[in-house]
Amino acid sequence: MLVLTRKLGESIAIDDHIKIRVVQIKGKQVRLGIEAPKDTKIHREEVYVAIQEQNQQSASVPADKTRSVAKLLKP
Amino acid sequence: MIISTSRFGQVELKQEDVLTFPEGLLGFGDLRKFALLDDPNDEIFAWLQSCEAPQIAFPVLEPELFAPQYKATLTKSDMEALKLSAQEKARYFSIVTIPDDPTQMTANLKAPVVVNVEARTARQCVLQDNNLAIREPIFTKLQQRVVQNPAVAIKNQSSGIDVATKLNVVKEVGL
Repeated sequence: MLVLTRKLGESIAIDDHIKIRVVQIKGKQVRLGIEAPKDTKIHREEVYVAIQEQNQQSASVPADKTRSVAKLLKP
Repeated sequence: MIISTSRFGQVELKQEDVLTFPEGLLGFGDLRKFALLDDPNDEIFAWLQSCEAPQIAFPVLEPELFAPQYKATLTKSDMEALKLSAQEKARYFSIVTIPDDPTQMTANLKAPVVVNVEARTARQCVLQDNNLAIREPIFTKLQQRVVQNPAVAIKNQSSGIDVATKLNVVKEVGL
């Protein structure tokens, strides 16, 4: 992993089109501004972790569970 | 070809039933081959079954069944990975989680499984739209759907189930 030190207002350029700027430093929090082409996906890492967890839980559903849901849904 | 599944036993598939996930699914990056199975004993869900790991299968639903306004916007890189030329040609499936209490079940709208039916390629696309939930509660919404049209099995009310392969069990799971 590449580790860089930046001060408030300074930026990092990734490839030719992505720029990450330190916008604010407050206590233990850093606010980052990200400039990237419209097509670039930018997510907090928690999003990926939450999706992985959801996938893991989904994969443990037994077949008879989905069948029984049909009966439950009928009023 | 015949694949082993922990839920349905030995299942017979045609080569064209297999969907390739070039990057796997999130958390399951090693698994590249899946099939969408239509279980005749299940009126609601299809199953995204791994062809490589018998125990890995995800119940899936088309989002239109519980979110009629659902609109996914794919990025250019999603479209390229799926070899899609037009966004409208894609089919969407939400991965569903069913906890012990099924009324608490949820669907992932944020990261649908998107299928290019013609190329048999698929990908779990993480959408940029921040209003989409990873765990959208769907029980009451599905219930409303059942109430509105009780005569038709819910999965037959959607358009994409034709992507799924009718479950053809060669040998049942030993009980």
